[in-house]
Amino acid sequence: MTLDEMKPGTLCVMVDLHTAGPLGQRLMDLGFCPGANIEVVRNAPLVDPVVLHLDGYNVSIRHDEARYVEVERQ
Amino acid sequence: MKKLLVLGLLSGLLVLSVQAYAHSPLMSCFDNGDGTVTCEGGFSDGSSAAGVSMIVKGPDGNALMEGKMNQDSEYTFDKPEGAYTVVFDAGEGHGVVIDGANIVE
Amino acid sequence: MSSSLLVALAGQPNCGKSTVFNMLTGARQHVANYPGVTVEKKTGFFSLGDMRVELVDLPGTYSLTSYSLEERVARDFLLNDNPGVVIDVADASNLKRNLYLTIQLLEMEVPTVVALNMMDVATRRGQSVDIAKLEQLLSVPVVPTVAKKGEGKEAVRIAVEHAHAEKTVAPFVVDYGPLESRIDEISAMLAGDPTLGAQYPVRWLAVKLLENDHEAEVLLRRVHSAPQGVLDAVVLARAGFLEGEGRDIERHIAYARHAAAGRIAREVVAVEEGRGRSLSDRADRFICHRFLGPVILVLILLALYQVSIVFGGWLAAEVWPLWGGIETFVSDMLPAAGFAEDPLVRSLGEWVVKSMTAILNYLPIFLLLFAFIAAMEDSGYMPRMAFILDRLFRRFGLHGQSTLPMILGGVYVGGCAIPGVMATKAIPDERARLATILIVPMMNCLAKVPLYLILIDAYFPQMGGLAMFFIATVTLFMALPVAKALSLTILRKKEQAPFIMEMPPYHVPTMGGVARRSIERTWLFVKKIITVVAAVAVVIFVLINFPGLSDTRRAHYAAEEKAAIDAFMVEVDKTEYKGVITHDDVLGIILFDEALRQAKVGVTDQAVSDTINERFDTANPVYSAVVRRQGDSGRTLNRELRKVVSVRKQLRREMRTERFEGSFLGVVGRAIEPVTQYAGFNWRINIALLSAFAAKENSAATLGAIYGIDGSGQSVEESMKQEEAGFTPLHALALMLFMALYPPCIPTSIMVRHQSNSTKWMMFSIGYQSLLGLLVATLVFTGGSMLALSGFQAMWAFYALCVAVTVVMAMIPSREEARAASEDGKEPCKENCS
Repeated sequence: MTLDEMKPGTLCVMVDLHTAGPLGQRLMDLGFCPGANIEVVRNAPLVDPVVLHLDGYNVSIRHDEARYVEVERQ
Repeated sequence: MKKLLVLGLLSGLLVLSVQAYAHSPLMSCFDNGDGTVTCEGGFSDGSSAAGVSMIVKGPDGNALMEGKMNQDSEYTFDKPEGAYTVVFDAGEGHGVVIDGANIVE
Repeated sequence: MSSSLLVALAGQPNCGKSTVFNMLTGARQHVANYPGVTVEKKTGFFSLGDMRVELVDLPGTYSLTSYSLEERVARDFLLNDNPGVVIDVADASNLKRNLYLTIQLLEMEVPTVVALNMMDVATRRGQSVDIAKLEQLLSVPVVPTVAKKGEGKEAVRIAVEHAHAEKTVAPFVVDYGPLESRIDEISAMLAGDPTLGAQYPVRWLAVKLLENDHEAEVLLRRVHSAPQGVLDAVVLARAGFLEGEGRDIERHIAYARHAAAGRIAREVVAVEEGRGRSLSDRADRFICHRFLGPVILVLILLALYQVSIVFGGWLAAEVWPLWGGIETFVSDMLPAAGFAEDPLVRSLGEWVVKSMTAILNYLPIFLLLFAFIAAMEDSGYMPRMAFILDRLFRRFGLHGQSTLPMILGGVYVGGCAIPGVMATKAIPDERARLATILIVPMMNCLAKVPLYLILIDAYFPQMGGLAMFFIATVTLFMALPVAKALSLTILRKKEQAPFIMEMPPYHVPTMGGVARRSIERTWLFVKKIITVVAAVAVVIFVLINFPGLSDTRRAHYAAEEKAAIDAFMVEVDKTEYKGVITHDDVLGIILFDEALRQAKVGVTDQAVSDTINERFDTANPVYSAVVRRQGDSGRTLNRELRKVVSVRKQLRREMRTERFEGSFLGVVGRAIEPVTQYAGFNWRINIALLSAFAAKENSAATLGAIYGIDGSGQSVEESMKQEEAGFTPLHALALMLFMALYPPCIPTSIMVRHQSNSTKWMMFSIGYQSLLGLLVATLVFTGGSMLALSGFQAMWAFYALCVAVTVVMAMIPSREEARAASEDGKEPCKENCS
C-alpha cells in the first residue's frame, strides 16, 4: 500500500521509498525512512495536500509525492 | 467546483473591503484675500490632479458648489458665507477634506 | 582587537536559529544577499575577550546535499569560507531530526558547538535530554539554551572560545556498514592528492562522491590533479553497491545517518508517557479545518490588506509632508526656475528627487506589510496558508504561497505590485516563484484605477458598477491562464521543489523580533530601490525630453512669453510702480508668489499665517504689495499677475507636450501606430501609454495633457469624446484591457529584476506583458468591430472567454502530472525518476 491511499486518522509504518533524486532526498532528509511511524493527520480543505505526523513533528506533502512512500497499516 | 467557491468567497470579501490607494492625494488651499479661495491638488507621485472632482460643502453637508480641477490642477471658487469644507474627491473615498476654517489668508 | 574569528550558525528550519543569532549579536548585525543568489545573508558581530567574532547566519536547511539552493549556499560557505567554529542550533524538542543535520556537519570535520535550543518546549512536552551523554556521543560541546529568554548566551560564548582554542576536531564517524570498504577505497585515492588531502575532509568528500553529489564532483574536478580516475572508481563502486545490496548508495547513506541519529536520540532523550495532543495540534483542527480553514484565511488576508494597504495608505498620507519637505528643500538648492523653461540642472534634479520620493511615499506601507509578514512567519501560519490553497494554485502552475503576493498586487482593486513581487521570496518552488513574479504586475494595482475611472465615466456611464466589476475581476482570469501557460512553456525547465513542508508548532511572535525584521527588510529594499531608481530616472528623463524643441518653436514660445510680460508691464506703467517694477522683475514676482504659497502649505492658523505674511512683506515690500493685493495698484496688478501666471503655466504645459511628442519616446509612439491601430490606439494614446511606463499614474495625466482641458470645467473624458470623434466604448474597452496587462512600472520592473536575480527576466516581463496587452486589445477591438459588438457586449463576451480559458487551463496536466499519469500510477521507480 502507498501513503496516498491512507485515510486521515490511520497509523502506518513506512516500508520503502520508491523515488530518488531531489524528491527522494528531501523525503529522506525529513525522516521518511523504513520503520518510521507515520500518522495521517488530515487533508487540506481541497483534499490535497495532506498533513502527516512523524518523528514527533508535522509535515505536509502532496498526494502525488505520498504515492512514492510504501507503508503498512498498523 | 469547490475551488471556484473559495475563489468567489475570496474576491467577494475583497469587493466589500474599502478601496485604498498607495499614492497619496494632496491638496492645499489658500484664501486669495479677494473673496475667492484657490485649491491646488496633486498626488504624492507627482501626477496631475486635472479633472478630479471638487465639492464645496456647507455645514449641513449639502454641496454648495461642484466642479473639477483645471489643467493646472487648480480649482478656484467664491468663498461661501459661513462655514464650509472643501472636498478633493479622486474617487471611491480617495480624497482630501479641508475645513474652511483652516483656510487662512 | 587583536584577532578575529569567523563563526557560522547552522541549523534546521524552525529550530529558533534566528533567535540564537539575535541573542548572540544583539543589534550589531547587517543583512545582505549571498553573492549571486537571492538567499538572505545575515551577519552579526560580538566580541569574545579581545577577539572580534563575525557570526554568519547560514540558511536553515534540513540537510547538506546539493539539491536546493539554500543547501548549496550553506555548504559552499562551510567549505570555502573556512569558519573557525560552527554553532549548530538544534531543537531539543525535536532532537532526532535535528541530529540528522548535526551529524552531517560533524562529518565535514569543522569544530562544532551544539546549541540545544528550545529546552523549555522540550520540558513542556515532557522530554528531558541527557546533555552529558549527548556530549560524549557526539564528542563536541553541547550547550542547552532558551534563546528567546536569553538563557545560555554566556555558555555558548565560552564553548565557542574553547572550540576555537582547541582546534583539534575529534571526527564523528557514522558507520555505513557494507559501504565502508568502498569509502576507504575512494578516500585513499583522494588522500593521494597532496593539495586536496590538506584542504578538504577526505572521508566527507568520498562519501559525497559516492552519494553522486554533483557539487562534490565539481569540487573534485577543480582541486584534484587526476579527477577522472577517481570518478571512474566512484561509478564502479556505485554500480557494484547497487548490485550487491539492492539499493542505491544515497538511500543507504541517508538511512544510516537516520539510524545513527535515532540511536543517539533514543539514548539521551527520556519521554514521559501519556502526554495528550499539544495546543498546536488542537489549534490546527480549526485553522486547517475544511470549512473554517478557508474562512480564517480570508479573515487574516483581509486584516493584512486593511492594515498594510488601507491603514498604511493613510499613514503614508500623514508622513508625506516629510517627503514633500525634501522635494522643496532640493528645489531650493537648485538654480531658480525660469519663466517658460527651467535650467536643465533644475528640471533633471527635480525629476530625480520626485522619482525617489514617489517610492519613499510607500515606506509606511512596506514597514507595516513586512511586520505583518514577519508575524505570520514567526507564528507558523505561513505553511498553513500554503497548505490550504496549494491545490487551487497548483492547477495553474503556482504554489500555495502565491496567495500573499497576489493579494498585495491587488487581486480585486487597489494593491501595489512592488510589495507583491517582493513577497514572492517565500515561495520555495523556483518555477512557481517565477510564474508568480510574472503575473503579479497583471493585478489591478491602484495606479491603474484613475484611467479606469476616466474611461468608465466617459464610455460606460450607465453601467459603471458592472464595468468596474468586469475590469477588477477579469484580470485574475487572465493572470491564472497566463501563469499556467508560462509554466508549461518558458518556465518548463525551471527547478520545481516538492511541496514537502514542515508544519511547525505555533509560536507567539515577539514584538521585538517582528519590528527588527520589518525594519531590516525595509532598509534593504530602500537601499536597493533608491539607487536604481535614481539611475533609471535619468534615462527616462532623457528619453522624454530630448532632442527638445526646434529653434523656431522656441522663438515662438519666447514671443508669447514676451507678449504676456509686455501686457503686464503696460498695466504696471499705469500705476505708481512705474519704473519700480521692470521687465526683469516679473519672473521674480511670480517666484515670490510661489514661495509664499509654499511657505503657507499646511498652515491652518491665522496668526502663523500673519507671521509668514510679515516676513515676506519685509523681504520685498514691492513684490509683496502685488502678491498680497495691497492698495488699489496692488489689487489691479495682482489681477494682471494671475493672467501672466496662467499664460506661464499654459506655455509650460504646451512646451512639455510638444517636447514629449517630439522626444525619443514620442517618436516611438508614432512609429508603432500602424500596429497599434488594430487595438484602437492612435499615436496620442501610444504616447500616453509609453509615458505610463515611468509610473502608471502618468497615463491619466498624460491623456489629460494631450487632450487638453481648458479650465472651463471640461474634463478629460469630455474633451476626449470631442477630439476623438469616432472613439467608441470598444476603443475604451481595448484601452482598459491593455492598461490592465500593461508592463509593470519601472519600480516594479526593478523589483522583478531583484527578485528573479536576472535582467533577462525583467526584460521578458516587460516584453511579454506589452505583447499580451496588445494582442488582447487587438482581439477585443478588431474582433468586436468585425462582429459589430457594442462595447458592453464585447466586454462580457471577453469575460466569458477568459473564464472558459481559465477552466480549460486548469484541466491541462503539467509536465510532471502528464508523466506521472503515463507511468501507470504505481510503477516503482528505479533511479532519478522523481
